[in-house]
Amino acid sequence: MTWLRGYALLYLLFLYAPIILLPMFAFNDSTIIAFPLSGFTIRWFVEIPNTPALVKSVQTSVIIAVTTALLSTTLGICAARAGAKYTFPFKAPILGFIMLPLVLPEIIVAVSLLVVLLALGLPLGHWTVILGHTLICTPFCIAILNSAFANLDPSLEEAAFDLGESRWSTFRLITLPLVMPGIISALLISFTISLDEFIIAFFLTGTEPTLPVYLWGQLRFPQKIPVVMALGTILVALSVLLLILAEFARRRGIARMGGKDTGGFL
Amino acid sequence: MTPIVSLRDVQKYYGTYHALRGIDLDIAQGEFFSLLGPSGCGKTTLLRTIAGFEEISSGTLLLSGQDMSGVPANKRPTNMVFQSYAIFPHLSVAENVAFGLRKRGDLNAKAKQALVEDSLDMVGLGGFGARAAHALSGGQRQRVALARALILKPKVLLLDEPLSALDKKLREQMQNELRRLQRHVGITFVLVTHDQEEALIMSDRIAVMFEGEIAQLADPQTLYRRPKSRRVADFIGVMNFLPATASGKTVEIGGLGRADIEPEQCPAGTPAGGCTVGIRPETMSILFGDEPAPARETTGTVHELAYYGDMTYYDIVLDGVEKPVTLSMKNLVGRRVLERGETARISWDERALVVFA
Repeated sequence: MTWLRGYALLYLLFLYAPIILLPMFAFNDSTIIAFPLSGFTIRWFVEIPNTPALVKSVQTSVIIAVTTALLSTTLGICAARAGAKYTFPFKAPILGFIMLPLVLPEIIVAVSLLVVLLALGLPLGHWTVILGHTLICTPFCIAILNSAFANLDPSLEEAAFDLGESRWSTFRLITLPLVMPGIISALLISFTISLDEFIIAFFLTGTEPTLPVYLWGQLRFPQKIPVVMALGTILVALSVLLLILAEFARRRGIARMGGKDTGGFL
Repeated sequence: MTPIVSLRDVQKYYGTYHALRGIDLDIAQGEFFSLLGPSGCGKTTLLRTIAGFEEISSGTLLLSGQDMSGVPANKRPTNMVFQSYAIFPHLSVAENVAFGLRKRGDLNAKAKQALVEDSLDMVGLGGFGARAAHALSGGQRQRVALARALILKPKVLLLDEPLSALDKKLREQMQNELRRLQRHVGITFVLVTHDQEEALIMSDRIAVMFEGEIAQLADPQTLYRRPKSRRVADFIGVMNFLPATASGKTVEIGGLGRADIEPEQCPAGTPAGGCTVGIRPETMSILFGDEPAPARETTGTVHELAYYGDMTYYDIVLDGVEKPVTLSMKNLVGRRVLERGETARISWDERALVVFA
């Protein structure tokens, strides 16, 4: 079984080596991205706040990602609940069509949205990127929330209603807390997808580029690359922290409700 | 007195599917009433109709004299115990039981807590309030569901197959407890079950349902002794059916002989000509040695037997009848168990017969 262990090791190296290089060169005292390393510095990190365009693009990306996460999760909740609770004509084709952007090439979505927006004479800006991102994030949210709603015993809602609650308070007191782990997952996934999405953002962005679009532009200037690496390091650290927090919340939620742990991120 | 539940010609359609076909039913205050039938007979639909989860397509539904059309489930004086118990998994036992009191502005926190403790005591879960609901066993969940529904003092408690998920021992224990609880609180219980034994044990009256209609509505003893149709007889316990010919007050029964019958033995009307006679296994017995028959006597051969420990069930071929009849014998001290192929004298009683057209 030695070769199997070696394979696993190589596999992990393949997955994570590029990410390990990121902090290495972020702390490297040279503008040239090459070995050997020439010394330790934190000046690339210090330079981040001194690059206004970079700070601005981070702000833009966060605004877009948060709005997209809220919008697509809300839409996902509505769709998943409707799919789990009600039967209506053409239900299967409707639900199938909502999931279609999941497999649609992003370049198609981006180009066709751009064509439509230009044809309507609408200006590009934050909201056009949000629109495109919501379109591609909603199917992910539905996929996550579908399982959360499908695992919900329908008689729980009936029981609360039977005990005198209204439809809305039943949803608030029973449904929402029980699907909360799914909602948090959906928020995180759509936030992450939106944050690092490039193609749609590149096509639909106005005068203020998102972070990926800005970074792509900076790659033409080699002396800026270490700053990009420094920012990347911060983002990786933040993502890992976020993931750990989400997983912690998810496990605690499951333990509190006595459910069985059947997956999750970690 | 006004019946607590009253249905008149209630119809329910799901699209073209006719789920309830003209249900007429009155349930009295304080009654333990069961809806019994095979799956798909409409008994759960009927219960959910009373609860307000299903709208009726036509007819009227009154709860203590009030028309319930357009009244949603959360405004009806009924509460329900669900088949899955529907215990809220993210709340504690006490929070589950107190859930229905949320809308009771007239009670302060202390009064609510006292009510919750009383309810938990009543179902034998005193001191369980702080437990997490998901950590309970099946029987305990059942009790929490009962306490949660009863704390609101509904006019009618609706129970949807509440015992079907429990194992046999626990189910029998809960049957007794439910009965005791119902007498104690005096609230009308309407129980849905497919288990005929459970219905017989617990109910004051039973409505047997087939295909969206009430086939017979009677107390347990009448239902068992005088079933109105072969189908009801077959569903409630075991009954042997023998071909017979009726003329006036006498029937000529294959394998048994001639018998006089009373009108009450023909719940579906006095037949004439070819008919079927039903007889329960425990009303017949095997005669040992030269023991005299208390009433009537015939002979047969043991075709098959099943030894249950306390009882032995025999399949006996009566002279002149092809299909064997089942009879049951208690395994009393000193009583021998017959073997396959043995000939036996069979005692029977014409008072036990039921005649079907």
